[in-house]
Amino acid sequence: MTAGPYGALLDAVRGVRWPAARRVAGATLGAHPSRLRGNSSEFSEFRPYRQGDDPRRVDWRLLARSDRAFVRLTTDLATLPTAIVVDASASMAFPPPTMDKWTRAKEVAVGLAAVAHADGDPVGLTIAAETPVTLAPRARRSVIAEMMRALDGVVPAANAPLAALVSALRVPRVVVVSDLLGDADALLAAGRLRIAAGGEVIVVHLVAPEELNPPGEALLAVDPEQPTLRRTLDGGTRAEYVRAFGAWLDATASAFRAAGLRYLRAETSEPAAHLVRRVAGEAGGGGR
Amino acid sequence: VSFIAPWALVVGGVAAAGTVLLHLLVRQRPAAYVLPTARFIVERPALVSRFATRPRDLLLLAVRVLLLISAAVAFAQPVLVPRHAPRARLVLLDRSAAPASEADALARVRMLLSDGVPTRVIAFDSAATVLADAVKGLDSLGRSAVRGSAHGSIAAALVAARRAGADAGTNADSVELVLVSPVTVAELDPSIDSVRAQWPGPLSIVRLAARPPSNRAWTLERAIAADDPLGPAMSGVRAAASPSSVRLRRDSLTSADSAFARGGGTVVRWDTTGAIAPAALAMGDDVVVAALGRGPPPERGRVIARWAAGVPAAREEGIGAGCIRTVAVGLPLVGDLALRPAFQRVVRGMLAPCDAGDAPTPADSAMVARLAGHGAAAPGVALSAGASEPAPIVPWLLAIALACALTELIVRARPMPKAT
Repeated sequence: MTAGPYGALLDAVRGVRWPAARRVAGATLGAHPSRLRGNSSEFSEFRPYRQGDDPRRVDWRLLARSDRAFVRLTTDLATLPTAIVVDASASMAFPPPTMDKWTRAKEVAVGLAAVAHADGDPVGLTIAAETPVTLAPRARRSVIAEMMRALDGVVPAANAPLAALVSALRVPRVVVVSDLLGDADALLAAGRLRIAAGGEVIVVHLVAPEELNPPGEALLAVDPEQPTLRRTLDGGTRAEYVRAFGAWLDATASAFRAAGLRYLRAETSEPAAHLVRRVAGEAGGGGR
Repeated sequence: VSFIAPWALVVGGVAAAGTVLLHLLVRQRPAAYVLPTARFIVERPALVSRFATRPRDLLLLAVRVLLLISAAVAFAQPVLVPRHAPRARLVLLDRSAAPASEADALARVRMLLSDGVPTRVIAFDSAATVLADAVKGLDSLGRSAVRGSAHGSIAAALVAARRAGADAGTNADSVELVLVSPVTVAELDPSIDSVRAQWPGPLSIVRLAARPPSNRAWTLERAIAADDPLGPAMSGVRAAASPSSVRLRRDSLTSADSAFARGGGTVVRWDTTGAIAPAALAMGDDVVVAALGRGPPPERGRVIARWAAGVPAAREEGIGAGCIRTVAVGLPLVGDLALRPAFQRVVRGMLAPCDAGDAPTPADSAMVARLAGHGAAAPGVALSAGASEPAPIVPWLLAIALACALTELIVRARPMPKAT
């Protein structure tokens, strides 16, 4: 596999573990505790025998001692299929020409995919571009390289909705990397449904420092997703802009967290490896 | 080049500077900047003002500035002024009969000519004449055997000086005015104050000796009683029965007195009149404060003495070749008034012949001081301002301004380059 520009990132996240937030329902042997109790070698507990239980799981020695039938339960480990949804709308191509937001989004996606893949989890990718790109979750070795190629082949443009793509996914863990300047409300609704269905949704909200503190001179700000939206940003409107944007950020964080989604805000100045560790390290529920 | 209205230049300069600033002030759309969070900016007019480093339309700016400058210069009215000397001088030479010595007067003027200051000489008696060439003019006056008329007029001299000052002021920063005269009462007419006010500077007075009182040359025909209180005061006046040139009457006049006056004599009518009361009598520089009688003030003729309140105390009126003088001053019968020198000088003045040339009375020091004035020499601009004529360039400047105004309309109507 040729890591290309992601080589240093992959080296930095090697060894990082990304445990599931709750027991997973999968039956495939993996690294995450499963909700299923099977017949693996790792004993968990005894349970009174019920009609229909497999007689082979009855602990005969305990029956001989206690004259009561108990079934021997064991803990199973399972894989956690993970899908990473990357926002490739025009607003992610900021600031031109470096497109730091898009670059950081790609790095986060690749880093998280590599971490999940290292746990043996199938990893898929959905790029919410003008023409969406979807890679189904796979556990094969080449999946990370395929994701890199897919991400590098996309240029952010237009206004691609995220919510429909998230709703269409059939994996228990979904990571959305976006600036949330598109269909944030619809995304929130879709995430709420997935949470209700027992899934896990992680939202990585990317914010560019230039958005928090725009250049000082008077500017005619143009929204790349709505070119007709043009506003004058000067000394008279700057303070109001900073206040309104900050309020929106806080309101968005509150709404996503209240809905049960894990929400992480990250500036593009934050190193990708650090951000990946933050996502993976908080996976135990601390991010709520 | 100087300007009649320099404030117009200031106004034009400020207007031109303001025009340049306005041209540097560009109202335009700011540079476009892609900002995904533009929706959080409050909607406002998209035009902003900013200062550019160079004007947007140089041609239009040049036309407008040229318009303002040419109009301002035109309204400032430039005048071409020759090179100025720092100082010039006008000398008023008294050629009347008042000075004691004409040679002395000429010598004083020649002294003034010798210091190198450009000087013009105005000789005056009852009329004033500007000497075309001061040195030659003075030589000519020195050789002349004919003196001026008996009466001089300083007011006429000042009027001539004001006219000559307009020329002198165009060539000098300041003009000094010098009066060479004994400054007698007869030379100061009632208009002297208003005429003097026309000269915007001090008047240096080189005071000559006045022709001395000729009480040795004239005799008084005394017709008073032995106990007349006026008698002791007339001790210095030579008296004779005949021939005499002054006749004193202490009662009413007769036809013989009129004939005497018409014949060239002086009749002094000095009645003993009025209630005696403390009063002040002024004549020339002499002031007498004593118990005096105040008769009804004379109504006609030139005032030669006044009471302290300004009421005439004595007047004289010409009649034929002589004159009649009326004195309304009563004398006390007791006291030492007649022995006071000041009163005796007043009496001699009252009894002197009417012909001022024979007995000029020097003006009092207050009058001389008022005539002299104070302050710096008259500025040339103040003297020549009325004589300045705008240079012929003014119509051309106005034409340029008009052409610029028309050009500005054309230039402004042409398509403008888009701002970046």
